[in-house]
Amino acid sequence: MTVYKYFMKVALKHKFIILGYSTLFLLVAIINGTIAGTEELQFVETDLNIGIIDNMDSELSRGLVGYLEENNNIEDIIEDEGYIREQIFLQALDGAIIIPRDFDEKVINKEEAIELYKDDRRIGAYYLEQQVEKYLIFANATYEDNTFDMDSLKSALNKKANIELIETKKGLKNSRMDIWFKNYYNYTSYIIIAVYIAVIGMVMIEFRDKRLEDRMRISSKKNFSLNREIYLGQVSLGIGITSIFILGSLVLKGRYIGEVEFSKYMINIAVFSFAILCFTFLINNLTRSRFTINGISTVVSLGTSFISGVLVPQEFLGERALSIAKFFPTYYFVSINERSIGSFGDIRYELLMQMMFGIVFLLMGLYFARPRLRA
Amino acid sequence: MKTLLRNCIYQGKNVYRDMGFLFWGLIYPIILVSFFYIAFSGISNIGLEDIDIGMERENPISAILETIDMVNIVEVPRKDANRNLAEGNIDGFIDEDLNILVNDSGINQTMIKGIVEQIKQMNSLNRPMENYDFEANYIADRDQEANGILVIFYSLIGMVSTYSVFAGIETVSLAQGNLTNIGARLNITPLKKKDFLFAGIIVALAFNLLANGLLLLFIEFVLKMNLLREARYSLALIILGNIFGVSLGIFIGASNKQSIGVKTMFAIASTLFLSFLSGLMSPDIKIILDKNLPILGRINPLAIIGNSLYRVNLLGNTKDVGVGMALLTLYSIILIFGAYMFLRRRNYDSI
Repeated sequence: MTVYKYFMKVALKHKFIILGYSTLFLLVAIINGTIAGTEELQFVETDLNIGIIDNMDSELSRGLVGYLEENNNIEDIIEDEGYIREQIFLQALDGAIIIPRDFDEKVINKEEAIELYKDDRRIGAYYLEQQVEKYLIFANATYEDNTFDMDSLKSALNKKANIELIETKKGLKNSRMDIWFKNYYNYTSYIIIAVYIAVIGMVMIEFRDKRLEDRMRISSKKNFSLNREIYLGQVSLGIGITSIFILGSLVLKGRYIGEVEFSKYMINIAVFSFAILCFTFLINNLTRSRFTINGISTVVSLGTSFISGVLVPQEFLGERALSIAKFFPTYYFVSINERSIGSFGDIRYELLMQMMFGIVFLLMGLYFARPRLRA
Repeated sequence: MKTLLRNCIYQGKNVYRDMGFLFWGLIYPIILVSFFYIAFSGISNIGLEDIDIGMERENPISAILETIDMVNIVEVPRKDANRNLAEGNIDGFIDEDLNILVNDSGINQTMIKGIVEQIKQMNSLNRPMENYDFEANYIADRDQEANGILVIFYSLIGMVSTYSVFAGIETVSLAQGNLTNIGARLNITPLKKKDFLFAGIIVALAFNLLANGLLLLFIEFVLKMNLLREARYSLALIILGNIFGVSLGIFIGASNKQSIGVKTMFAIASTLFLSFLSGLMSPDIKIILDKNLPILGRINPLAIIGNSLYRVNLLGNTKDVGVGMALLTLYSIILIFGAYMFLRRRNYDSI
């Protein structure tokens, strides 16, 4: 097993690629975990991110701020138009309200009483406008004898509607953790493609060095045995790399694996790893250029992640993007992760497609390897 | 001058024939921006859509809901409400007692809740109808288009403007006798190393600016995205990004004895990581970092370029651009000085 041993030794020389990508991956996974949406068993009101500057500080303006604060997140902002516009542009805020010093007077006179920065095309912004308008219309309705009836207003605004989720949503075990695992494993596809192609590609470049190949050819080692050890090395390396990411999920959220469809993620990642290993085999038989391998590693990993639903959920992607994505295993890998399954029969098509891709890549790789073997 | 010109021609030929430059500088950014465009064109083209509310024909509030612009009333018998909700035909169902049934928690469902609450609250407020003036306009609307996803494109332009880093690494490696054969030959000739390096910088800047220009033309004329509306500042920022990139390349090339491959990988990783922090892979990451660690966005060179680009082009805000440009210049000077410290008086006993 000399070849195998040296294959692994050369692979270890590229440990910084694995470490670099793993660190980046874990960072993304952790950050993504903090921003992942939560799915509850009860209805949860969508809270808007609102910035408010209250220059009036009257009972009426404080009442408005308090009312909006009840169901929304009030963010600290500064009274700078450029800054506010940027926060709206970035979607860090759904809207920003500036209450002027003569707010009460303007409300009484039914004039434009507040400045509202928002994107008119967004439903969240529309809802915010509705909330503000409602408050001010109600406030003015209570205005009598030069004063607003704030107690009645507050009491009326406390009247809530009864809202219920229908039964189909209540069968889920732990939706929040399922979302975390789904996002985590979706991201592994990006990293697996990048690391497999980069690391195995780099090792194979060293093994395909002309002088080394010539020396191997005149050695007593049989070609079959040599290739077997190289392929075994690739498989071992692949298993090792994939294991890092599986272990990562166990370290970060291991205590929840009983509450999510963990076996689905395991089978899916194993099949996907096989497909990508075969893709790497194909690439290694197509080129010996370090630059090309680096390029393919970056472009394919990032590109497929964008169009297959890793970085942007599939539901937001256009038809065109998804049609292109179907020509690579990542699409099917993500589709499985996105779905809640009753049995493995539910995902057999996607698993089969990934296997098929793997086999096609393998056969193509063998085809392109023929001229080299003949030489 | 003649020597400089000759060095520029030779190094220019060298870069031109380099497949690495051709790929990373020219093809990769175009591929990447195309992927971004395909993936995000669906997200950025948004518009207000009606909210479908299911209710029975005789529901007393249907007359009120019909007056609301964004509401579309769908006649649904109570017994079919769950099925319609599960199939996504309606966003919510309101029964005669103003109870709401939904299948999801979202903004549409929150809006339905808000509408029903308004009806209940008006009853609770118990004021005569003439007291409510629904025609009054209390809000001065300041419309600002929200399109955070565009940050990704500006972040990409920022990243590729620093891709002169590769030519910087190449130039400085070629000048070092212990790394390349050309470097070894150069060190035993009377040619001045500084002329060679200076020519390398000029070539790196010229080629990368050309590549950036092609990318911008591709964005403008093929993808038909009008990202650079303010040419003067945009050009200055891209040029400074290029100068920063080549300075970083020279520093990476001079500071260690690793192979060009390793140095290139380091350059890719560092620019990609800094771009990631500036929002290249998701604007949410930028927003989180801006909120919790705002200093990072102000000192990260890639964030300086990306942020300044969208501020001047989309928001018409040139307030902090000068500070960003000064910082980029300072970084470049520090990196060049650092590289100079590594390179000066370097002698080889044996190469």
